[in-house]
Amino acid sequence: MTCNSTPMLKMRGICKHFVGVQALQEVDFEVLPGEVHALVGENGAGKSTLMHILSGVYQPDGGRIDFNGENEVVFPDEQAAQRHGIAIVFQERSLFGPLSIAENIFAGRQPTGRLGLVDRTAMFEESRKLLAEVGIDVDPRLPVERLSPHQQQLVEVAKALSLHAHLIVFDEPTAALTETETDHLFAVIKKLKERQAAVVYISHRLEEIFLLANRVTVLKDGRHQATLSVSETSPRELITAMVGRELAAVSFDRSLLPGDQPPLLEVKKLSDASGNFPRRVQLKEIDFSVRAGEVVALAGLAGSGRTELALALFGARERTHGTIVVGGHCLQRGNFRGRSVADSIAAGIGYLPEDRKEAGLFLEKSIASNIASASLKQFGRVWTQDGKIAKVADDYRKSLKIASRGTEQPVVSLSGGNQQKVLLAKWLLVKPKVLIVDEPTRGVDVGAKAEIHRLLFELSRQGVGVIVISSDLPEVLAVADRVLVMAEGRLSGELSHEEATEERIIHLASQIEAA
Amino acid sequence: MTDSNDKKPAIPMKGFRKGDLRLASYSRELALIGLTLFIVALFSILYPYSFCSWDNFNAILRNLAFEGILAVGMMVLLVSGEFDLSVGAMASMIGVITAWLMKVAGWPVPMAVATGLALGALAGAMNGVFVAKFRVNALIATLGTMGIFQGIALLVGGPGITFLPESFSRVGQTELLGLQLPVWLLAALALVLHGFLAYSRFFRQLYYVGSNPKAARLSGIHVDRMQIFASAMMGMIAGLAGIVYASRIGTATATVGVGAELQAIAAVILGGASLSGGKGTIWGALIGVFFMALIKNALIIARVSSEWQGIVLGAVLVFAVALDSFMSRQKE
Repeated sequence: MTCNSTPMLKMRGICKHFVGVQALQEVDFEVLPGEVHALVGENGAGKSTLMHILSGVYQPDGGRIDFNGENEVVFPDEQAAQRHGIAIVFQERSLFGPLSIAENIFAGRQPTGRLGLVDRTAMFEESRKLLAEVGIDVDPRLPVERLSPHQQQLVEVAKALSLHAHLIVFDEPTAALTETETDHLFAVIKKLKERQAAVVYISHRLEEIFLLANRVTVLKDGRHQATLSVSETSPRELITAMVGRELAAVSFDRSLLPGDQPPLLEVKKLSDASGNFPRRVQLKEIDFSVRAGEVVALAGLAGSGRTELALALFGARERTHGTIVVGGHCLQRGNFRGRSVADSIAAGIGYLPEDRKEAGLFLEKSIASNIASASLKQFGRVWTQDGKIAKVADDYRKSLKIASRGTEQPVVSLSGGNQQKVLLAKWLLVKPKVLIVDEPTRGVDVGAKAEIHRLLFELSRQGVGVIVISSDLPEVLAVADRVLVMAEGRLSGELSHEEATEERIIHLASQIEAA
Repeated sequence: MTDSNDKKPAIPMKGFRKGDLRLASYSRELALIGLTLFIVALFSILYPYSFCSWDNFNAILRNLAFEGILAVGMMVLLVSGEFDLSVGAMASMIGVITAWLMKVAGWPVPMAVATGLALGALAGAMNGVFVAKFRVNALIATLGTMGIFQGIALLVGGPGITFLPESFSRVGQTELLGLQLPVWLLAALALVLHGFLAYSRFFRQLYYVGSNPKAARLSGIHVDRMQIFASAMMGMIAGLAGIVYASRIGTATATVGVGAELQAIAAVILGGASLSGGKGTIWGALIGVFFMALIKNALIIARVSSEWQGIVLGAVLVFAVALDSFMSRQKE
């Protein structure tokens, strides 16, 4: 750490109250110049509220903020915080899709030339430099919506850099990034450190914190729990501070694995017909099977075709052909044409999408209507019986421990982990033979994560074939009986639970790229 | 994604009962009923003779039947996340085509009416295909078809088709228990649609489609088919409105529906629907329509000039929706 010990940011006794809850209570938080200060805590611990106060979105009910030598600063709105030199890279992207990358980076503060007109040359030139700095090689004149989600995330970072901020907050920046991109981002953050900027880093991935941060502050239930020096703490101690209890190391008893079960799902030569979409990943002759009672993980880099494979199995992807057999019943032979998601569900396939809010949940609808959404026929062929839905939903609420006021509460008001449990309940209700879960614990806190792992494992032991798609390698190693690795639309390898290590998976995942 | 519950607490609130949430989801409807009762009370005091009478009440109902029929269909469409600007023109077109079939082509009345309804469904389905299959924005697609339907209506109807067969025009003017048949028709249609939309599995899929089409597709709901169905139904209902109007006044003109689409959308939004879909009830649509008709009536009774009616109705719409949006943000 540097010798400069006057904090860049000092927040003291911050309080914030919302209707019904004390979101923050007397929270202290400080960041030194040239320091990366990690902020951790379970969902709902108050991390986002604290950052929203820092960025002027919310006004605190009490406490004071000193920033960059100025005492008791007030940020009445986001622009004020930005003017003071605070930039935030939010986890939820806030870009303007149809506008160019450069327009997005300089939104609202485009460089101007004579007559106050936008100096486009300067803007594109500056953008090109910033993009190189964050490590993406694209034309800044492209509309942002043409970029992949992880490239968009990096554009957000470029935008924050362009502000020449004294303090930059990263809110779960790596959730959507691949390995290489993450490395690049870390290099960017190290450069910021050298520049004596202060960095706040929010992440659920503890490894990253130990790699990157100088200090870490733990919030729990809106209170300051601890501030620790990273060199003097351990992941175990952090988890204990976050959860308030020690989590048993995840390990499941694999002796119960049913040995020679007939395959529940058989996939033969599943491919995408070449279409007019050069940017799409194409599935190439994929063969694999899943037996009843096993958890198969699909690993691979972002863009390797894992999600595409899931969508093809689920009947939600056009132009695929091949053979899919579920529980001895042939779901598809030859072309995709004519098969729908409803057919896949009827055949016994369930799919929890990667992007919960975008593709999974009906946000304004109640927990009960979300749970019933894929199995309406169970509640009456012609007339839907709400009483029955409420009862079934309440059973799931109890058995999956969904924290809510009841089943009429809209899911938008639940935390990430609880939303994921609602989706899990929705697909359990379908009683699937094969359940595909895509990034099941992204943006979910450690407590809920362990619980979701346990649920998936138990489900498999009840005879369901579970396919877990995950970029989180420790998760893959913890839950999978077998790991299938994908690269560029092909299956590049298969590892048993015993064989699988992070190194081997990464090797298989990047094999083709390296060749 | 991580801390969305920082903003909206997931911690149980004290004294929160299940019923509160149910009530809260009807907030727009309840607020509107309150406002309606207030206006009724106010005008009953100000104009005890002209306003507060059975005849006036009956007149309000008679006049709202046409837009009311359009509005209940529009509600179903808005629940599915779509809307339709062409319904006014469609009502005019189906009205004159049906009239032309019975008057000029000499078809029997029931056959002409059935054909008219079928054509309405077809025209609506066309809108639905443009929106759901070809992914044309609903505003653009139905703005286009509005022009087409209005043009066809003028071509077929010209200055109007008058002196329609007695057996046809008698129906629209029949009174039952003091109310004209179109009013009863609206009531029946609303009741049936309410039953379907609230309780039937098929129609309830529309709420999912409107709320999040992507998630609906991944839940096994045939999103395209549902949207085309809702549009086709809207077309048939618009046709019905046109036919009923022609029957009531005994004449089919090509301009009866001009502006009706906006009135219907306004009433439905006022009654709790959302342009982004997934929200609203048939009761809401009825209350919205009644409220707008009431304001119009009150303005006429207060002898406010007709130029002011649009201004007042527009202001009421904007104010009511802004207030509702403001209140719901306060609750959070």
